[in-house]
Amino acid sequence: MDYPEIDRYASLDSPIHRFDPRAKIITFVLLLISFVFVQKISVAFLALLFSLLLLLVSKLPIRFILKRVQIVLIFVLPLLIIMPLTVKGTELFSVFGISATREGLWYASLIVIRSMAAVILILTMLGSMRFDTTIKALYTLKAPKTLVQMLMFTYRYIFVIIDEFLSMWRAMSAKGFNPRTNMYGLSVMGNMVGMLIVKSYERGERVYQAMISRGYTGNPKTRTAFAMRRTDYVLSAIFVGIAILVHINTVMM
Amino acid sequence: MTKEAVSIRDLNYSYPDGTVALEDINITIEEGERIAIIGQNGAGKTTLFLHLNGTIKSCDNNVVIFGKDIGQMKSKERIEKVGVVFQDPDDQLFMPTIFDDVAFGPINMGLDEDEVERRVRSALATVGLTGFEDRVPHHLSYGQKKRAALAAVLSMEPRILVLDEPTANLDPMNRASLIELINDLNRDKGITTIVAMHDVNAVSQLADRIYVLNKRMVAEGPPTEIFMDFDLLRENNLDAPDVFKLFSVLSCFGFNCESLPLSINEAVEVLTKTIEGDEKHVHLHIHEHTHEDLEVLMHRYDHHHG
Repeated sequence: MDYPEIDRYASLDSPIHRFDPRAKIITFVLLLISFVFVQKISVAFLALLFSLLLLLVSKLPIRFILKRVQIVLIFVLPLLIIMPLTVKGTELFSVFGISATREGLWYASLIVIRSMAAVILILTMLGSMRFDTTIKALYTLKAPKTLVQMLMFTYRYIFVIIDEFLSMWRAMSAKGFNPRTNMYGLSVMGNMVGMLIVKSYERGERVYQAMISRGYTGNPKTRTAFAMRRTDYVLSAIFVGIAILVHINTVMM
Repeated sequence: MTKEAVSIRDLNYSYPDGTVALEDINITIEEGERIAIIGQNGAGKTTLFLHLNGTIKSCDNNVVIFGKDIGQMKSKERIEKVGVVFQDPDDQLFMPTIFDDVAFGPINMGLDEDEVERRVRSALATVGLTGFEDRVPHHLSYGQKKRAALAAVLSMEPRILVLDEPTANLDPMNRASLIELINDLNRDKGITTIVAMHDVNAVSQLADRIYVLNKRMVAEGPPTEIFMDFDLLRENNLDAPDVFKLFSVLSCFGFNCESLPLSINEAVEVLTKTIEGDEKHVHLHIHEHTHEDLEVLMHRYDHHHG
């Protein structure tokens, strides 16, 4: 089974990898916000190209990123069919009396391109640093404590829970269970998920006790050693510039 | 002069659903002692340990550590005094990297950065994990996780070290090195160690005194005394060390020694002493009571037909 290790390639070396994590999070999120508000397909397309460029510069394996983009595509692509049929406007063609509109297609394309740009951007950001670094950067950026801790525990325990699931799965296969979509199969799977929830709940309690044992008071504290260098400032300035430029362009044209 | 490290008086605890977990527990442990708490599954060992460092607070203020009620202590003082290493290292290692995890306690104690750094390095060096600072817990082996969990407690430099099943699920090499490590900490730094174990063969290597827990404290004493008490062992679903049993058998054949050995090392000592002594050899023979004695002995160790 594949572990969902988003930071598998965090040890590569590229300008994106070397970029200060805090500056990276701020500028990439800024770019993201800027890209999703783009109103023109041509500009959205440029944004997508820029995201792809960053991905290339980061040297992250394209397949690694695309595999994750796929998941988002499953949700976004149906829009290309639904929106032309539902948005009112000039008719493109009609099938069985249902007409597809130019405007619908245009909106749908805009949404698909923008979301691709955004997803590639964020995956490049997450993939180019270790996840614990991401968490620490969020912590130093004063992100809400609860959020930081939730991310931290998710990252720490997702692997443990996967292992627990796998060992349960193996135990069931060893006793001859074949997953089928009949009532019996589904009820067994339901039991398994229930078991996993109970196990997680109990583990949560034990982890909390371990935390109390080591002086946890509700405030996560950690030690970080980030330092901005000149290249970080330059890169930040460029990214912020592009985030703004995209919109000046839109307004002027 | 030794000080009282732990003193528990009439401690009672029930789970929220009303099940009694601990009943009238009385313990006194001197500083620098090596203690084992043995008992069958569900005997309340873990619950007792959670009381020792104030994770579960007793309402009656009857857990006293170095003369001070643990319920009255600030969290910093509490974790400086007693460190608990839990059984499952995945419960204990909750931070993203090993460094963060080992630094968790010291940072919560409010130490400055240099001191935190120093303690993390020294704790990792003690358990033999130098260079693992940036590793993530899910990339470590079970033995490494177990040692990292110990380091995470050692970094708080506690005066009392409590370990829940330290040797469970470890391979022989990791087990031996962990036992040695715990004993080194006791000998060199004077840390009071309290372990919960199932593994009776290793108990004598880690403890000079044993408490037998079964919701109540059913017995207390040096290992030899505890393991001689067959009824006690059987009633509490416990076993005696294999070496101890073998020498009990040998004594039925006329082998004479002052105290029965509990581990292979002690066995070597006993045999050497006997052979070097007046007799010059080990003399075994069958006398009139041998068969009878053996039968009684084997029956005593038999858990199935109690």
